[in-house]
Formats: sequence, C-alpha cells, structure tokens
Amino acid sequence: MAKSPLVEALRTRPWARRGLSLVSVVLLLGGLGLVGYPFFTNVYQGQVQDRLVRQIASPELKQAYRERKVQYGDSLTRIRIPRLGVDAVVVEGTTPSALRAGAGHYPQTALPCDEGNVAIAGHRTTYGRPFGNLDQLRTGDTIELSTPLGSCTYRLHRDPFVTEPTDLGVLEPGPERMVTLTTCHPKGSAAKRLIVQATWVKDSTAA
Amino acid sequence: MRIVHRLGAGIVAVLVVSLMLVSPAHAQAKKEIETVTRPESYAATALARALELSVLNLNLTVASSGIEINSSPSAKATGAGVALLPNTTSEAKAGAGESSAPPKACALNLPLSIINVELACGETSAATTGDGPQALGRGTVAAIDIGGGQLLQLLKPVLDLLKPVLGTVLAVVQPVLGGLQLPLVGQLAGLDPATDPVSSLVDKLTKATSLVSIKIGNSTAQGKTTAAAVSSEGNAQGAQIDVLPGLALGGSPLLSIVVGSAKATATFDRNGGKADATFDGAIATVKVGLPILGGNILELPIKLGQPIRLLEGTPLESEISLGAGSTKRESDGAVSSVADGVKIHLLKGISGGVKLELAHAEAAVGGLTRLTSKQVVVDPIPQLAKTGGEPWVPMAGAGLLVAAYLTRRTLVTRPAGARQPAEG
Repeated sequence: MAKSPLVEALRTRPWARRGLSLVSVVLLLGGLGLVGYPFFTNVYQGQVQDRLVRQIASPELKQAYRERKVQYGDSLTRIRIPRLGVDAVVVEGTTPSALRAGAGHYPQTALPCDEGNVAIAGHRTTYGRPFGNLDQLRTGDTIELSTPLGSCTYRLHRDPFVTEPTDLGVLEPGPERMVTLTTCHPKGSAAKRLIVQATWVKDSTAA
Repeated sequence: MRIVHRLGAGIVAVLVVSLMLVSPAHAQAKKEIETVTRPESYAATALARALELSVLNLNLTVASSGIEINSSPSAKATGAGVALLPNTTSEAKAGAGESSAPPKACALNLPLSIINVELACGETSAATTGDGPQALGRGTVAAIDIGGGQLLQLLKPVLDLLKPVLGTVLAVVQPVLGGLQLPLVGQLAGLDPATDPVSSLVDKLTKATSLVSIKIGNSTAQGKTTAAAVSSEGNAQGAQIDVLPGLALGGSPLLSIVVGSAKATATFDRNGGKADATFDGAIATVKVGLPILGGNILELPIKLGQPIRLLEGTPLESEISLGAGSTKRESDGAVSSVADGVKIHLLKGISGGVKLELAHAEAAVGGLTRLTSKQVVVDPIPQLAKTGGEPWVPMAGAGLLVAAYLTRRTLVTRPAGARQPAEG
C-alpha cells in the first residue's frame, strides 16, 4: 500500500515528531480533566462541607441567624432526607460560588422553619450531588431542616414534578408553611427543573 | 486504507467534540436602549416695527413688538403702542411649564409735543407648554397726527422763504411733477409772485387739519414651536401717510403715501436640522396731487433703488425710498431675514422735516437636532438556580482522549516484517 507523503514526513522528521508528541500529551491531559470534572467537584464540595459543619455549630453563626444577617456562602441550615440518605449543610445564596457547597437557600424566600415557603436549590451531578436522586421521593416522604435556633419537619404533599427554568412561581409562598427543593433535570442537563414541595408538619427544639 | 480510516475517525471525533462544545442557549431578553448623546437646542427671535418717527428732535417708535424663545425652555414677548411709554407697553415671560398673558396696555390720545397719538396699545402672551415655547407680541396705534394747531406757526418760515424764490420753486417743481406742471404754471401765470400765490397758498393751507397724518397697522412678532419645527415671524402692517391732509375741499391731502406690509420669517426643522429664512418686502405707492389747482391725482410706485424726490430744491422737498430685504445664513446653520420698509423724509426744509421709517421686520432662528445612540442590552430572564452539569463536558473529555490516541498512533512506526503483503 502506498504510504501518505504527509504521514511519512510527520514520522520521520524530528521536529514534527516532537510537536505531535506534545499535542498528544495535551489532548490526553485535557480529556482526563474533563472526564474527571465531576469527581474533582465532589472532592472540593467535601472540603467545603467540613468547614460548614463546624461553622453551623458556632455561636457567631447563631447570633447572625438570630439577627437575620447570615452572609452569602455561610451555613444556614442542615437538610436531611431520610429516604435518600441526604445529609448536607445548606448555605445562604444560590450564586454559582455559593452552590459549590452543594446546596443553597434562595435568599428571597422564607428562612428555614419560618412562615412562608423555604426554597433550597441543590446540585444533581456535581459538587457532592446532594439532590441527585430527588426524583425518587414520593408523597409522604419527610424532609428535616435543622437551624441554629431549632428544627422542623416537612412532609411531601405531592410527587416531584418537572417545570421550566423560568417558573419562578414555585418559590411563591402558599397557604401553609412549606419547603421547596429545586434541581436541574434531566441529570447532566439544565434544560428543565425538578421540583419537590413539602408541607410543614412539626417543629422540634434546638439541637 | 488504515490511514484513511484513522483520519476519518479523527475527524468524526473532532466533530463530536465541536458539537458538544456548543453551549445551550440561555434564555435572554433583548431590549434596545436609546441614549441621548446630544440634546436638542434651538433659539428664535423676531421683531417688527410699524413706524420710527423723528420730528423736531422728538423720536418715537410706534407699534413695535418682539419675541424670543429657546429650548431652555423659555419664552419672552414685548408689545408696545409707543415704546418707552409704560402705559402702552406689555411684557410677558414664561419658563418651563409656565404661561403668561398680562392685560392689554392701552392709552388714549397721548399728546407728545406736536405729535398726537390716538389709542396706542401693547399686547403680549408667552407660554412653554405642549411641544415647546410660544410667544406673541403686538403693538398697535390707531392714528398719529403731526402738527395740528401749530401748523401755521411751523409753516411761517416756509412761507417767508417762498416769497422771493417762487420762480425758482416753480422751475424746480416743473420736471418733477411731470404732467401736472402745466396746470400749475398756468394757474400761477400772471399772478403777482410776491403775494397772490402765497396768499392763495396760505388760504389753502389753513384748511389742512395737520402737517402729517398717519394711519398705521399693527406690528406683530410671533414665535411658535411644534413637534416638527420652530419658527419666528415679524410682520409690520402697512400705513397710509397723508401730508397736509384736508388741504382740498374734499379733504384730500397734498401728498399721500401708501405703504404695504413687510414680513420676515425664519423656520428650523426639528427633525431634519435645517433652517430657512424668507422675507416679503413692503411696497409703496405715492399719490401726488394738487387738488387746489384742480389737477388729477398721480400715482407713482416706488421701486427698489429708485427713490422718488418731490419738490426738490424747495423747503417742501420730500424723498421716499424703498428699503431692501435680505436673508443670511451663518456658518453654524442659523438663518436670519430682514424686510426693510420704506424710508420717508418729508418737508426737509421745515425745521428738519419729518422722518419716518415704516414697515420693518426681522426674524432669526437656529438650532441643533437631538442625537441618540442605540444600544442592545441583553437582560437574562430570571430563572430557578442552575444546578445541573454541562452535558458537553464528559463528551468533550472523551473526544479529547480519542484525539490523543489517534495522534499517538500516527507517531508509531511499524516494526520490521509486520503484515507483509501476500506474494503469489
């Protein structure tokens, strides 16, 4: 078979071989980086959560919470979903940097365990994916929120549902105290949003 | 063929990676914002004057008006029956969102030395509402008489002058009066030049009610602003000047000068940014007659550049000239126009005579249009927080790994003796 003159030139000339070798290394490292991206975000989120767990128990945060002055990126509440095994600290704010903690509280909504609609957004495939299996919840499942001032429990009154990213109505308060969890849908895509809503059941004393 | 397959696989991998690198479109709302880089500005003025009168060192401006408007916004107007007489002068001013219309200022029968002014009024209004500033000024005088009861006293020196030089007067009059000269000469031939013509003249002159009687129209200055244009206009209406009125039995004057109106306008186009100015000059006609001698009335139009001189060389010499109009454009685009009226100097030999300047109007306007720039601003539509990964990331990673493998394969040299073609 006749060999391509171009390929032969690339194989035989020293400068061409060194250049191609460098290109192959760069492509390899780039590919590994992109494929491993979710893994790297999970590692980072784990480190952030360690810091947030320590912060949520601090008296300074308790004082800031009492004065309604929790800063963006600081610990706000701890969310537990027994059915899915979710246990993560939620920060204040839903900016991209705040959400690197895994889950963040919509600042324009009610505070956890308060009157109104408490809305929390969480990652589904990266940064610890705390809301990765939210679609598996069903009516009757419970969600617990623990704050520096006390805890409360909510129960799902409907199954999770999908809506458009622009459907900000899910953040509006309802007739009862409630919590709303949002995450992207389907997994790996931001085309839609998956919504879980639960109604308040009871309060507990401070932990 | 292997090379072709490998290259094809590489190309497919690159295409797949490229497609994955295309980010999904984010919901956005585009809106156009208009920013003003230069605000609109304009200014316009106008003035009109029916009569400027000078007699026996007494100077009067009669029926005058003026306006000034600009984009501040501001509007001003003045109107006077007789300038500098407060009881015949009106003024109006208006700032942003204001309007002003003071009562009309009038005075009746104003005696000013040998001049009597009948019913002089000034009227104004100014407003800055709607599309922009508006202003109106108007000055009116019903009539002016000069001389009156002091007529004979004024004419006495003339009469004394006439006695010894009557023959000279007639010689001078002759070419000027044209067809009237024969009846005049014929009438006076054979008379005692020292007394009879003069006596007859004095007899007739006593029948005159005044030296000069003037009926003048209004003068109006107006400034208007509409959505499309800013304009100013000065308009001085005409006048009729009777010299020695009532001289004849029928009340006809010795000399009657009829002056038409003069108008000057200037307009600024707010959309196109261009200004234009025009003028309509006054026209004048002289009616000359010696009804005391039974002659016919002769009408002489006054032409531009061709003044008319009457009774030249005599104390009664009078000159009438027509003023020119003009327009002018400045380097910044502002324009102005002037309509010059008629200038009359009557009875030059009688204590300096009577000087009149009639029907003068001016208008000017200039401005700059508003300049804007448009900018497209993209407002992201509010969304629920984005907590999903980018689907293209792992696909792009896989594509890069494939590309790395293919690149590496290209560098590998086949070991000696591998896959020799079959010989047969």
